[in-house]
Amino acid sequence: MAETEGRVSAPLARREAMWRLARAAGVAAPVLGFLEGRVSALPRGEETDLAVLHAALAIEHEAIALYDLALKRSLFPAGLRSYAVEFRGDHLGHRDTQVAIAEERGGRPPDQRAGYGFAPLTNGDAALRQALAIELLAQDAYTALISQIRTKDYLLSAAFILVDEVRHLTVWRRVLGLKIY
Amino acid sequence: MKRRALLRALAAAPAALAAAGARAADYASASEVFPAIDALEAEVGQRLRALSEAMPAARPLARSLLRDHERQRADREKLRARLGLPAGASLRAQASDLLSLRALRASQEALVHAHAEGLPAIGNPIAIDRLARHMVELSRHLAVIDLWLESEESGG
Repeated sequence: MAETEGRVSAPLARREAMWRLARAAGVAAPVLGFLEGRVSALPRGEETDLAVLHAALAIEHEAIALYDLALKRSLFPAGLRSYAVEFRGDHLGHRDTQVAIAEERGGRPPDQRAGYGFAPLTNGDAALRQALAIELLAQDAYTALISQIRTKDYLLSAAFILVDEVRHLTVWRRVLGLKIY
Repeated sequence: MKRRALLRALAAAPAALAAAGARAADYASASEVFPAIDALEAEVGQRLRALSEAMPAARPLARSLLRDHERQRADREKLRARLGLPAGASLRAQASDLLSLRALRASQEALVHAHAEGLPAIGNPIAIDRLARHMVELSRHLAVIDLWLESEESGG
């Protein structure tokens, strides 16, 4: 707990850890540059929308892989399993929505990777902390990227996806005893 | 239709993507979005103040959320100026059922949705970024209210 609190209260370390996760998820270079603050804005256009879609899908795939793994190993404590199942379902919905949007625009959305190199998930606490980390990445990435989206239908979908990500993060923060208000 | 169900429906039928905007509140411009947010924020504020008067245990939460409202209101005034919109008026909400947690949740959800549905109508990346960040805070408030409701309903 203290370790996570420490990371949360150290913005630089948190950002580094976050973008390491983003790179591991397969987020493409231009979007990663924007997320890391190396470029101040992405060019507005269809190409940027597709780059954002692909980055978002990379993160959704990673979240789904994590929940799949932890649920298969029954790592979430009994009282929290229903949250994990709900959040996995949300991520599947986010993935499918964004795959549909990307394909409708002629994009070729990224597939889930064969492996993500998660830290060893030896117990429920490790699974919860890894879920917290990926939900934080999702919330921060969507928050940073949403203003770069040009088309109204994707902007609307991304906004509602972001609302879900905040809920996931808030629930795991509460479970881990972190501040939620 | 619940948002989550809407997203899943969209995923199942890509052709339905265009329907998303039709189902959502159809804001034409920023000049419609800001007053809608002001009105819903005033309603949530009225409920939070009433609940905190009736339930001392709710006061720290209400104080924290109302502080966020105040900061967001000030931000919105700056955004209005940036976008050339008239300043917002001070609103007095007339909500009923003020001590109902479920009613608070419904108002909070409407406030979150007004932000989400308003973003495509804003048309200015800086304002979109700022309002999206407000939406993140308000979504967190909504999740906290959900956890409060779950706890009340499970007798916790």
